[in-house]
Amino acid sequence: MRILGISAHYHDSAAALLVDGVPVAAVQEERLSRRKNDAAFPLAAIEWCLERGGLEPDELDAVVFYEKPMLKFDRILTTLLRAFPHSCRAFAQAMKNTVGEKIWVKGIIASRLGVPARKILFTQHHQAHAAAAFFTAPTRQAAILTADGVGEWATLTVGRGQRPADGPCRLELLREVRFPHSLGMLYSTFTAYLGFPVNEGEYKVMGLASYGKPVYAAEVRRLVPRTADGAFSLALEYFEFHTTARRSYSSRFLELFGPARDPLDPIDLDTAEGRRFADVAASVQLVLEELLIDLARALRRELDLPDLCLGGGVALNGCANARLLAESGFERLFVPPAPGDAGCALGAALVADRLHFGNPDRQLPDHPFWGPEVATADLARLADEDGLACHQVEEGALVDEVVEALASGAVVGWMEGAGELGPRALGHRSLLAAPHDAQMRDRLNLRIKRREEFRPFAPAVPAELADRYFQLPPGGVRLGRFMSGVFPVRPEWRPRLQAVTHVDGTARVQTVDATMAPRFHALLHAYGRRSGIPVLLNTSFNLAGEPIVSRAVEGYSTFRRSDMDLLVVGNALVRKARARTVERREAAE
Amino acid sequence: MSVTPSLLDRSLRPLHRWVWAERGRRARKLLRFAETERSGGREIARAAECTSDPILRRLLLRHAQDEERHAELFGARGRALRKGAPSSQLEANWLAPGERGLDELRADRLSERALLAFLHLSEKAAARRFALYRQVLGADPETSAVFAEVLADEEFHMTYTRTQLERVATGRRGRALWRARGARIWKAYLRLAAALAGLLGHLVLTIQYFVLVPPFALLARRAARRERAGWHSAEARPAADLEGQY
Repeated sequence: MRILGISAHYHDSAAALLVDGVPVAAVQEERLSRRKNDAAFPLAAIEWCLERGGLEPDELDAVVFYEKPMLKFDRILTTLLRAFPHSCRAFAQAMKNTVGEKIWVKGIIASRLGVPARKILFTQHHQAHAAAAFFTAPTRQAAILTADGVGEWATLTVGRGQRPADGPCRLELLREVRFPHSLGMLYSTFTAYLGFPVNEGEYKVMGLASYGKPVYAAEVRRLVPRTADGAFSLALEYFEFHTTARRSYSSRFLELFGPARDPLDPIDLDTAEGRRFADVAASVQLVLEELLIDLARALRRELDLPDLCLGGGVALNGCANARLLAESGFERLFVPPAPGDAGCALGAALVADRLHFGNPDRQLPDHPFWGPEVATADLARLADEDGLACHQVEEGALVDEVVEALASGAVVGWMEGAGELGPRALGHRSLLAAPHDAQMRDRLNLRIKRREEFRPFAPAVPAELADRYFQLPPGGVRLGRFMSGVFPVRPEWRPRLQAVTHVDGTARVQTVDATMAPRFHALLHAYGRRSGIPVLLNTSFNLAGEPIVSRAVEGYSTFRRSDMDLLVVGNALVRKARARTVERREAAE
Repeated sequence: MSVTPSLLDRSLRPLHRWVWAERGRRARKLLRFAETERSGGREIARAAECTSDPILRRLLLRHAQDEERHAELFGARGRALRKGAPSSQLEANWLAPGERGLDELRADRLSERALLAFLHLSEKAAARRFALYRQVLGADPETSAVFAEVLADEEFHMTYTRTQLERVATGRRGRALWRARGARIWKAYLRLAAALAGLLGHLVLTIQYFVLVPPFALLARRAARRERAGWHSAEARPAADLEGQY
């Protein structure tokens, strides 16, 4: 059975192709269109998935969209009606957006792909999140918790999943919290207040939180009171996201926390104002963690299952995930590599396969590498055209050469195999560097990634050695598989891991498994033999405002435009030195 | 090549002087220019990734790096001016824009000829504007120097785009430029038409909002009062029912 899953029209659109219950391709539209967080209908992603699967659209058995458009429209319209007359401006804008395009998904899919309408299916948004989290996790049964900004009406759901070896799969969502009460919207409101772009700057809030103290925690708790049944609500007088499109916080919010940051002003942590913003970030982070832990503990008591699968955009919060693992009572926590909306494309296809068509469970490959493959020949051609020396070497020699470069302070662009699905570079589209000096972090932030200096970088370490350098709780290695948890760096190693140790002594660790990324794993070991520490700084291979690179030409372009020293694509290797000479000569001409 | 401001801009010089006079606004505008340059740089880098012409790719990559450097120059100066300056919200970008147009570039949809012609015209327009800004910023030599530095690059960009256009569209450079001018006018018309349609749509929807919506709003608010916060059952919809959109 051939099923195409699609997510689109909000942020991070994507497509995923499932053949006989197993993914064969999945990619975010942004990786192909090169527009970060591209929300457009993912035609390029769909075309690529079908090409990868060797299929024509009419050979598909079903096309599944990741949410129910009319139910979502119901929520938008009802919310606007409830906010009358304050929703005047938002009403016109929302109607133009939704009636203009977003509710006609069935027609769009039918006309763009040429598939009959009867083959087009719709999951619920959080059902897709839950499926992406549960069906991809190596567990037979688990509790499920999904949380994001909003889907149709649901903003947070709890439930359970079962994948018996000899029977039909089950995925039940038991309860949900509904819009406008939303942990995702709470966090996004603070993201906007702190002057960061919503749906993109949430990482920055988490990074900034480490510099502050949660002195505003009591105020944040007033914004999100608990309900008698153990859930939560938002005190709506502090928010405006449900009434206007202009801003997400109200004047009362500003009375509580002070003036918002102008996005044009940099955050200076040496000033009182900069520290206030860090304190606000720390406070919302703390309250989010408290709420999630409390909800998860209740779920653990209720279902008495040892495993928890976490989905939705909130599951990208590595600090909260680590505390959930340590304090919720669950023994194992599974977060997929793409817990956000992009992963819903895969989740929607899995819902259709396992639940709608009732196909038996299949164990899925436990890796995120479902994107386009990188071609070594492309780099060789580009380098040749630009008069650069491109060495193609066998695996062992390549690893040795890269290790030498890393040890001498080089920043290496590392591309191999298929690209990752999801926001993390997990060793196939990575920028790698030595993790020892703080100067390396500053160089990467300022001269290569061109981003705020307070943002941390992640370490990658062989899974079997992770515990030596990082304080991982039981289940921490699994959480680190897709870089989903933030854990303390062991104090004795912090002086030698400065570039990847955040100000609070933590790091978002990637525990690299030899079966998932053998070559990257071998590189880490080789670096360990050379430097004494098998840890590398691993950050996504992109520049600020750009999506992670996908093809060799994009890696090459990023290499040429930044302060990187070495580019590795498959078994080919290019250094920068000579490139500058050619460029200067041409410019002079 | 010496770049001079356009006749229209020269006649509006007092207005431009006023726009740039206030320190807070100057800072905001420079920071906004930085964003535009950065975004334009990304588009040009995309163009470099799409072309199969190695000479063009190298030049476009350098161009993209220049845009990034301009973003840093504008950003650094903007931040310096912003320290202690009164906050100004009015940016007057309709009158004194930055490198307008590059962020509308869809490099992957243009031929090399169309791309070069588009870039040439955009760079030329930006260079003429920056020449004017440099002139009216006489009282702020540091900002003026930033514009002078950026202008030097813009002149290089104008030159290489013209030279390369001659190379890839041998003997048809003029035609390519006129087509690009036509496309710019058409895009401007589409922008205007879309804005007008948006305005009309907004007006009609706003009228509907106040005429048709109130009774439904009343019902929705009454229903909302009955709705409790907290948990809701999620079992009402069968998990396997994927045919409905509701």
